Order: sequence, then C-alpha cells, then structure tokens
Amino acid sequence: MSESVSDAELVERFPWVQITHDSKFHFRGWLDKQLLINRCADCGNWHHPPKPVCPVCWSENLVPTEVDGTGTIHLAMALHQGAPAPGVDYAKGPHPVVAVDLDGADGVRFSSTVIGLPPEEVVIGLPVELDWVERYGHPFPVFRKREA
Amino acid sequence: MARRNPMRDEIAIVGVGSTDFSRDAGGISAAKLGAQACIAAIQDAGIDKSEIDGVVGALEPGAPRANQMSSILGLNDITHHSSPMPVAVSALVDAMTAIFSGQCDTVLVYYAFTRAPWNSRSAAQDPFRSYLGGMMSGGLKAPPMPESIDPSAAYTAWAQRYIHEYDVPRETFGRVAMNMRANAARNPKAAMKTPLTMEAYLEARMIRDPLCMLDMDIPVDGADAFILTTTEKAKKLTPNPVVVHTATAGMVGRNDEDQLPSLERHGQHVVVEALKERSDVWIDDVDVFFPYDGFSIITLGWIENMGFAKRGQAGRWMLDHWDEDLGCVMIDGRVPMNPHGGSLSEGASRGTGHLREAVMQLRGDAGERQVHDAKTALIGCGGFFFNSQGAILKRL
Repeated sequence: MSESVSDAELVERFPWVQITHDSKFHFRGWLDKQLLINRCADCGNWHHPPKPVCPVCWSENLVPTEVDGTGTIHLAMALHQGAPAPGVDYAKGPHPVVAVDLDGADGVRFSSTVIGLPPEEVVIGLPVELDWVERYGHPFPVFRKREA
Repeated sequence: MARRNPMRDEIAIVGVGSTDFSRDAGGISAAKLGAQACIAAIQDAGIDKSEIDGVVGALEPGAPRANQMSSILGLNDITHHSSPMPVAVSALVDAMTAIFSGQCDTVLVYYAFTRAPWNSRSAAQDPFRSYLGGMMSGGLKAPPMPESIDPSAAYTAWAQRYIHEYDVPRETFGRVAMNMRANAARNPKAAMKTPLTMEAYLEARMIRDPLCMLDMDIPVDGADAFILTTTEKAKKLTPNPVVVHTATAGMVGRNDEDQLPSLERHGQHVVVEALKERSDVWIDDVDVFFPYDGFSIITLGWIENMGFAKRGQAGRWMLDHWDEDLGCVMIDGRVPMNPHGGSLSEGASRGTGHLREAVMQLRGDAGERQVHDAKTALIGCGGFFFNSQGAILKRL
C-alpha cells in the first residue's frame, strides 16, 4: 500500500512531523501498520529515531526492520495538558505518554501512548505490546498492556 | 588525568546589567529589554562603547541577534559576533574563546527573554508576539503530537524514572521549589516572591504528572548582559576582578531525549569530569552553588552528579542542610543554593540569572543575599540532553 504513496503525499499525510529522506521509510511503514526500526546490516546495531548512518560503525547500509512491538515501559508520564490531537481530550483525564524498551531491538525505545488502561496503571516496568489506532486519517502506533 | 586549561583565570567578567524579571513587563519588546541590560552592563564596566569589539547574543525567540543588537546600540568595528544556542554558559565560553584567541578584546554578552504565546496566556493576547507561534511550529502545518517527547516533556519522563529508581516522594521536588522561592524573596529582581509551603506545592496544578507547574521555570520578560575582557585589562578597571576559572559544555552521543541511556550517564557527568580535571577547586572550596533549575529534576541531578549527595539522595541531603529560619538550603550552614531564586522563582533566564548572581556574590554586591567573603562560585547550567554546561568563577 505505502509503495504507491508518493513522497509529496507522505508529507501531506503527516503534517505534524518533519519527515526526511532518512525517516520516510519509518512513516511509510505506519501506513502498512508496520513498526520499522533502523538496523545496521553491517554491525547489527539498532537505532531510533532514523539516522543517515549507523551511529556505531558509520555504515550507510541501514535496513528499516519490522519489530513485533512488544516491550517494557522505561519512561512514563501523564499529560494534564499538552498539544491537541484527534481523540485526545485532556478534560476527560490525563493522557499517558511512555517510552518503551523494544524487545529484540537492543537499546531502542519507541514513544507513544497507552490505550485501554487507566493512567494510574501506566507505570514503569509494565509489559506492553503494539497496537494501531487511527489519527488524522492514518494508522498511528500505540501500546496496550500485554497479558501474560 | 589533568586536562589542558590555558584560559584558566585569564578572562574576567567586568560588567553586569539586568532588567527586572517579571511575568508581564507590559508593552516592551525583547529588543528593548536586551538593550537596557546591555547599556547597564557597559556602564557598570565603566568603559566606552567604542571599546567593545565582540558581540555574543542570545538565540532566543523574539530576541535580537548579535548583528541586530550591534545596530540597535550603534556598536562599530566588531570583529567577532555570534548567537550561540542556549543555555548561558555556551555564550560565556564563546566570548571567552574569542577573547583568548585574539579575535577581539572586549565582548558584550546578552540574553533577552520574552514570554511567548505558547507559555503565557497574556502573551498569547499580544498581537506583536503572534509571529512567535509560527517560529515554534518550525513551518509544520500541524502541532507536534502529544506523544512527541520534546526536551521539556522529557524532563518529566525522566523525573518519573528518578522516582521509580530511587523511591522518592514528590516532596523531594517540592523542596527544590521551596528553596528557590525563599531565596527569590530576598531578590528585588525576582518575578515570584510570595512564600511557598510544601502543602501549596503538593496542591499546585499538575501539568505533566509527576511534575506540576511549580517544577517548571517561570516564563518572564527580562534580560541580562555581561562584559568580558582579558584579566590583564580587567585589573586596570578594578583591583579584584571576577574571573572564569574554567567553563565547559558536556554531551553524550545518544542524547535524543527518549533514548538517553540512563540517569547515570548524560551531559551533566561529562561537565563534572571536565570541570574537575581543569580546576584547582571543587565542591568543598565553593562559597555559593548554582545548580540550574529549568525543571526541578535538573537541580537534583546537579546536586548528585557534582558529588554533594549520593545518587538518589538529593532530597535527603537538602533536608540535612536545610536552614529552617531562612527556609532554604545552606550547605554546612554556610553555602546557599541559587540565592537569587533560580529559574523557578526569579524567572526563566536559561541560567543568565545564575551567572549574574555568581558575579554579584563574588564582587560583594549581593545585598542581603551576600555570602560573607565569597571567593568561589560553582555553576551547573542546563539539563541532561544537549545543553549541559558548567563553570567555576573566582574573585582574584
């Protein structure tokens, strides 16, 4: 699906972020509900957000690689006010924001919100898994609690 | 391992100038506030404006760049000018290196602050500030998502991590805010002087849980300016000039806000190592301590990373050194922490307030806040990610 989306359309569909030639693969992945994280094909290290070269070995041989999106909350906060976004209503309660240590992508965190859980249960150490909601008409990656 | 420090004590701060800091200075531009502070600093130094051949100006929203300030003040024959990224010590270091290398002899350094539509309701009503909103969005057609962990939100996220790792209560953060407010009450320039109790802190409006509005520096209108020159020239102006013993920046590679490896290794640690290795003095020699407090968690970081307290113990340490009569920290009963009230209560000055108060204390000009015979000041400026900096100032 995302293959057919032009660069111009990609920029149009993500008006809230500056997409570059280095990060365009990552956001195209969203359109296919794939979380793509850069992995170096030469040294095997992962990094995020997408960079032009591998920060470890400087190789340009970077492969946007799908991760399954399971992980553990490393950072957590609850926004009582913040930037506006569709489906986010601060009047109804604080909006959780987390940075998640991704399983299988050593050292990389991905930041988003957690759905389906009261904010006070969104805590550091909680196991989570990836899910997708709709924002601004495109799929948006979020987390939900991972049941054992 | 000692590091080279050929600039040690070779550059002096010979002039300071400031406006008051307020939550609303009325219809006055950042350019005018900046000009007032610059003129005051030049007059304080006792020099003619023709002696200034370097201008280092703040890269702040709405503030004039160095070229614009030169035009405003009619400064001619400038051989060095720049507008470095905040916070304050980066401008200090830029001016020092320009003088030391011979690019110029006498530098005007200034920072001017103006409340912006995104951090002040009254500023949002000012039509002359509306263009700042466009600068903030960086040309994007929609605001960033709430999940974007930008630098300011990141301090809240790492504050929660600090609570998680060291099992500390919110009172630890409140203690930082109380220290600043009590000190600000003794500073006529400060924006927030009303006393702050722990009860009031705990009830304050939550912004990003776990940090409330009193954990975040207060947007103000105001400006600070400094005149720097060689210590050799400074001695002709004053018998005991305030000199920069050492100053530095510090940064680690993985400094993306949500990717920082841990609270145990970030920019502050690089700063501390560089300061120690380039200095004759350290925390036991300090007469006045200036930990940055753009967010309360940053102050806890400086207290611990400079070695005043063990990791996770900054809250306990503040209590151990708390002066009940003054309502603030007095380290070993003697050394205050941000006696001017810091960014939390004097106003959000990116550390220029810390730098200015350090100079005032070392000159003996700090009024009722004066530390007896203060000779050495330690400044930890900026936070964890890309703006960690530090400086040690001495009176010769």
